[in-house]
Amino acid sequence: MEKAMKKNLLQAYKQAPWRTQLQWIGIFLLVLVGVAVVAGVYLMISGRAAATGRRIQSLEAEISALEMEISDLKTQYAEVSSAKSLSERADALNMTMLDPLEATYIEVPGYVPPSQPVLAPPPAVEEISTPVLLPEFTASLWDWLRLRVFIEPSLPAESTESVTTESVTPAPTEVVP
Amino acid sequence: MKTTNWNRFFIICVVCSVVAGAAGIQLIRIQNIEGAKQILANSEAYQGINRVIYPERGSIYDAEGRLLAGNEVIYEVGLDLQAIEQPETVASVASSVLGLDYARVLGYTQMTPGNGNPYFVVLDGFVSKDKIAQLESIKEDYANRSTKRGEVRPNLLGLVWTANNKRSYPEGALASNILGFYSFLDRTDGIGYFGVEEAYDDLLAGEPKEVYSAIDPNLLTSLEEVPPGVTVQLTFNREIQAMTETKLDEAMEWSGAENGSIVVYDPETGEIIAMATTPRLDPNEYWNYSELFPNPKPYNSAISSTYEPGSVFKVITMAAGLDSGVVTPETTFNDTGSISVGGATIYNWNMGGWGEVDMTGCLQHSLNVCLAWLGMQLGPDRFYSYLKSFGFDRNTGIDLGGESHWPLKLPGDGLWYEVDLATNSFGQGISVTPIQMVTAIGAIANEGKMMAPHVVKAMVIDGKQYNIDPVVVGTPISAETAHTLTTMLVNSLENEASSALVEGYSLAGKTGTGEIATPLGYTNTATNTSFVGWGPAEDPKFLVYIWLEKPEISIWGSEVAAPVFSDLVSDLVVLMTIPPDNVRLAEKPGNNSLVILE
Repeated sequence: MEKAMKKNLLQAYKQAPWRTQLQWIGIFLLVLVGVAVVAGVYLMISGRAAATGRRIQSLEAEISALEMEISDLKTQYAEVSSAKSLSERADALNMTMLDPLEATYIEVPGYVPPSQPVLAPPPAVEEISTPVLLPEFTASLWDWLRLRVFIEPSLPAESTESVTTESVTPAPTEVVP
Repeated sequence: MKTTNWNRFFIICVVCSVVAGAAGIQLIRIQNIEGAKQILANSEAYQGINRVIYPERGSIYDAEGRLLAGNEVIYEVGLDLQAIEQPETVASVASSVLGLDYARVLGYTQMTPGNGNPYFVVLDGFVSKDKIAQLESIKEDYANRSTKRGEVRPNLLGLVWTANNKRSYPEGALASNILGFYSFLDRTDGIGYFGVEEAYDDLLAGEPKEVYSAIDPNLLTSLEEVPPGVTVQLTFNREIQAMTETKLDEAMEWSGAENGSIVVYDPETGEIIAMATTPRLDPNEYWNYSELFPNPKPYNSAISSTYEPGSVFKVITMAAGLDSGVVTPETTFNDTGSISVGGATIYNWNMGGWGEVDMTGCLQHSLNVCLAWLGMQLGPDRFYSYLKSFGFDRNTGIDLGGESHWPLKLPGDGLWYEVDLATNSFGQGISVTPIQMVTAIGAIANEGKMMAPHVVKAMVIDGKQYNIDPVVVGTPISAETAHTLTTMLVNSLENEASSALVEGYSLAGKTGTGEIATPLGYTNTATNTSFVGWGPAEDPKFLVYIWLEKPEISIWGSEVAAPVFSDLVSDLVVLMTIPPDNVRLAEKPGNNSLVILE
């Protein structure tokens, strides 16, 4: 009697088998969707990182090309304004060398003769070298989690970002060799 | 039924798990087999490459900041054999635009890469931008060409070009003796030869750096900074250098001289204002070097050629005599026309005697006998001690590649004889370079202080400019001696009514005619003619040294080199904005500066 009572009670509270199956299927699909979402996000980030990387490579190549072009244009400018070229133009304009005794000299109060040209570039923004891509874009999900959870959990997100610190380089100094 | 469903579900789960597990195990196994490690190792080669980046060679500027040596873009055109689709088209275009042999290019394009054949063939390493523009135009034309059904669109796949820097000298041969040249045809191992390019080769070249360049965008790191070579600013002004070269060329043509050198020097700082020599090489075509400078012709005779200077050297002997107190300007000497020293007899240039003359007269008439007597009065110890103080026993140390000097014969040497003291006193039996003479005589124009001659005014290293300050390398004579001698040389030029004079300017100077030693003795049919002069006398801003070798129109320095000095200084004072004495000495004190109005 007691046994029968216990069996009935268990049957009364037991989940229907189809319901249990649905639960298991649901859990399985949930895990599947979760994995798919993580994989999708991971793929998307990887794709974006790759595209950004390619763009950076392209910009680096462009910088090199522009630097070469700047040198080339400076040289071209020097060629068209060379002493020989200017001398020919002066001759074509019937210009002649000044006779020092025919020159008229005047006093110009406060006139400062041109000083030695400064060839050094103006003080520039100094960039501190930092990784181009953040760890978030290059590390695997596991590595990133390990970094965040175990290794540097207290590290604020800003500190890993690419930082450009503006610091003016010292003004050109004159030294005696 | 219920049990059957559970069993089915259980079986599906087990099968799926087994399949997934097996796949996982297989994945792990594949990643750890020997072949996988090899593939992994090979893959690293595709992630990035280590390459050496050669920094851009530093530029060279004149004192006004005008470019003398820079870099221009040049292209390397080659064939990527794996990418070629149409060998005939590529060969046809490449050969016609680059001026190459069609059959040879076609042979390259039809090669199968690998198995001993290269993957890449360089067709031409130095292609101009114009030709690259032609190639790009053809490539674009092919890409836009409409084709009919079955027709193949032509393409230049596999024909590639990359930009590189090439050394360029926009002024051509101007100041090439100072600049030297860089062997740019050797792209990786090029070096600087002669002049600034040699003396500052390491600094100009910069530091090549081996960097890792990631191809895998996920491994990208920040762009490696490879600083360019040091930028150098020289002491000379381009216009003055051009004018000096023109004057030298005109003098060579007029006098028929074999070679010539003119050095314009700032005695106060040691800066070279101009340095012209012959011949001059266009460093853009440096491969003509051996043709233009057959051995042993030096590249820059102003610093590398030694010669017996003749009477310009009397300035040094007189400086020693005055500074040591052996003579004063008023000391007289009875010139009989000859003097015997060590068994040899010394004569004057005209073989005659000039009677009683003072020391200014000795310089004015350039009397060998008088100066030989002065040398004897000084004695070998004092005389050669002064020559050493003036730096005639060593290189000047000018910052140009290729400087040399002739060893100074000294008492005690096997080659020195007593007569050498007498002949050395008037500039024979002693060999010097023009730059040695300039440096030594510069001390007389600079209150006794001898300055280190140099051509580099400033350097830009890592974005900072470092100016080179003047360096005193010695004080061979006192300021008083320097003033006295300058006054004597001003007077001697004016008394002589020298053709070196420039109206309106007080100038000190001395002519020189040096006989040339031959295996059969000295010849007086061919001479080295020289002139040294500086001014304005009260505050020298320039010192000019002229050497014309074996002129044909006259053997005398007073007739060949002196007029060249006058002609050059007439233009030099304009370019250096030095007003005549009457204007300059009347200048009011204060913050006023004289400028040329017209």
